Amino acid sequence: MRGKQMTSSPRDEPLFHGGGVMEACDSSRVSLREFGCEQNLLSRPDGSASFIHGDTSVYAGVYGPAEVKVSKEIYDRATLEVLIQPKVGLPSVRERSQEQCVRETCEASLLLSLHPRSSLTLILQVLHDDGSLLSCFLNAACMALMDAGLPMSCLFCGVTCAIDADGQIITDPTAAQEKESRALMTFAIDSTQRNVLMSSTKGSFSVNELQQCIAVSQTASEKIFQFYRDSVQRRYSKTL
Amino acid sequence: MAAGFKTVEPLEYHRSFLKENCRPDGRELSEFRTTTLNIGSISTANGSALVKFGNTTVMCGIKAELANPTVETPGKGYIVPNVDLPPLCSSRFRPGPPGEQAQAASQFIADVIESSGVIQTEDLCIDRGKLCWVLYCDMMCLDYDGNLLDACIVALLAALKNTRLPEVTFNTETSAPEVNSEKRQGLCIRKHPVATSFCIFDDSILIVDPTAEEESLATAQLTVVTDEEDRLCSVHKPGGTSMSGQKLQECISRATARQREIQKLIDKVAHSVKMEQ
Amino acid sequence: MPTDNKRVRGPEVSQSPSLFLCKPAVVVPPPCGPRPDGRQRDQVDVRAVFVRCGLVSQAKGSAYIEAGDTKLMCCVYGPKETERKDETDMKCGRLTTDMRFAPFSCPERGSWIQGSQDKDFSLMLHESLQPAVCLHKYPRSQIEVNVMVLENSGSVLAHAVTCASLALADAGIEMYDLVLGCSIRQDGGSYVVDPSYTEQNGCSSVRSENQGNLTVAFLPSLNQISGLQSDGEMTEETLAAGVRTCIEGCYKLYPVIQQALAKSVRRAAPPPSES
Repeated sequence: MRGKQMTSSPRDEPLFHGGGVMEACDSSRVSLREFGCEQNLLSRPDGSASFIHGDTSVYAGVYGPAEVKVSKEIYDRATLEVLIQPKVGLPSVRERSQEQCVRETCEASLLLSLHPRSSLTLILQVLHDDGSLLSCFLNAACMALMDAGLPMSCLFCGVTCAIDADGQIITDPTAAQEKESRALMTFAIDSTQRNVLMSSTKGSFSVNELQQCIAVSQTASEKIFQFYRDSVQRRYSKTL
Repeated sequence: MAAGFKTVEPLEYHRSFLKENCRPDGRELSEFRTTTLNIGSISTANGSALVKFGNTTVMCGIKAELANPTVETPGKGYIVPNVDLPPLCSSRFRPGPPGEQAQAASQFIADVIESSGVIQTEDLCIDRGKLCWVLYCDMMCLDYDGNLLDACIVALLAALKNTRLPEVTFNTETSAPEVNSEKRQGLCIRKHPVATSFCIFDDSILIVDPTAEEESLATAQLTVVTDEEDRLCSVHKPGGTSMSGQKLQECISRATARQREIQKLIDKVAHSVKMEQ
Repeated sequence: MPTDNKRVRGPEVSQSPSLFLCKPAVVVPPPCGPRPDGRQRDQVDVRAVFVRCGLVSQAKGSAYIEAGDTKLMCCVYGPKETERKDETDMKCGRLTTDMRFAPFSCPERGSWIQGSQDKDFSLMLHESLQPAVCLHKYPRSQIEVNVMVLENSGSVLAHAVTCASLALADAGIEMYDLVLGCSIRQDGGSYVVDPSYTEQNGCSSVRSENQGNLTVAFLPSLNQISGLQSDGEMTEETLAAGVRTCIEGCYKLYPVIQQALAKSVRRAAPPPSES
């Protein structure tokens, strides 16, 4: 080959130094849009839920555990498939990347080894996108999995934070706020340790801003988990 | 014996190494594989680079074409990044259209280009509203042994640095472009984003630059992209087991150091290519 | 046209800058005199080749070949279980070939989707290789041959055949013989061996009867031809002479390929030390 070859030697200095200080965050500073959730609203799937963040709205349906295609069979756990249907048109590369994020988050919280050699399918249908779509997917997915009665090690929720031009952190931004923001981050937070399960970011930001956003998301997650609890309570208080 | 143990109990095999703070290929936990870079080997492309991380090999070729800008963004050109995982690079990929992994990787690269501002699409405009460049950046994996994203970003950045575009003027009388292939110019590279990938083993052990086998056994993966000003362009963790803020901070520090190494390597190779010409 | 939603899409239409050159840069080489790269016309003057085996860690066998600016690599996977159960042959193995051009490999950008040309090449590659592989030794299994053209500077098929047979040998697949490829371009009374991209595709203005490309796949130790592909119009004598020229070209290639193979075998199983 033409061109030049050159090699950087692998370094063996002690790394992984440093350690961030977790920022505390006042929960009154975190404002989220109005939530809405309804479980078990579709009759065909084994579990279903709708989730609404302000004007953003997503339907989720779960099928399974069911028989799995031989080519996708995993011998010691269930195969989870996530399909995202956009409001109009066919799913594109962007949806594929979101599917990957949602799937791996669900895989981490579901106890898939309890259903070896079976398939789980999660379908997410966008009804309207007005910002914070990925976090809405995550919340809808979690509610639908709960409704399907699948065993999980923990719950999870999605929080989107936007950093605007002045460096202010906006939680749960609308589409207009997302467009004007300098950076956009979505995190999935687990319910047991409030740690980050998934992270997906756009735009550039400093380390400090990242830590702040994580702290804000962890605070916001409290509100969402409380909302989960309330909506499930409301639902079962009706039926019992 | 060891080979049999590795096949039957791959996870236990890896654990027995990690317990001793090393990995089956002899690396330490925070050690990268040897990185090799070759720039400008494809003469049919406007810019090209071949990157090797140990066995993992990615080739990026950039082809520039002319197009009309969109009505919404008349002053902007296009960058079209695509990652291809042909069946040639590993037996896990099937022929046909790109699979989920390739598509997610393409989207990730597109996001990093936009977030980092490595190239301003305004720089690709030739005549506002009439003519602009399209950079088709095709990243082809030739040998898949893990850590695809890091290799793709290095290949892309090196290929962009190597890209030479012919001089183009827009003739308003004939409303057709005129290309002078004798005068060639490089692109304006504004940032040098570098990705660093990590794997988490058994919810706690952190390793860098994972091989394909380590990736498939790990419980979570994380990719951090930083530029030369230590700004983060992407913190991509597509699920997996949870991670504390402190662990994340460790990863970011390692990624920052890695950015320096890679930028130095790219500059060195790009410089020596220039000296040769 | 259906939109491709599995890739990051660019604009609907884009054109290569080479269409708008002020001065036509590509001069069609005249069908006489020395060739642009300094090689001799009407002689078996093949480009120097660089061959290497066993580059790809994931593959059973692999090979890389570089002849002038033509660069391609080949990986072999298998023998493994046939994917499609209905096509399982109890007596004989199956050889599958896939040849692709990287989008940046040609002077004009190629499409992502495999075109008819790639499929033609895949088929010809398959036909050239199959007679050399002892498929009866691999019942109920399939052997995959994947070729990727990284840079196309002419004579791609010929080099693909050579590269693929080398990769098959590197994978330890039983074969009767290696398969070597060589191609020529006939232009009237004169010919060029191992043509470059411009020589292969540049149509000379003088239309003559004998004009075309010929590629031969040859088994050197059996002295047999396993594949022959020709296009254009040639008389019987010219074609026969062309085939002979190609065989001569293959023999020039043979020692290089043998050396590369021997080197990879030696690396895989080093000879026992003397002490």
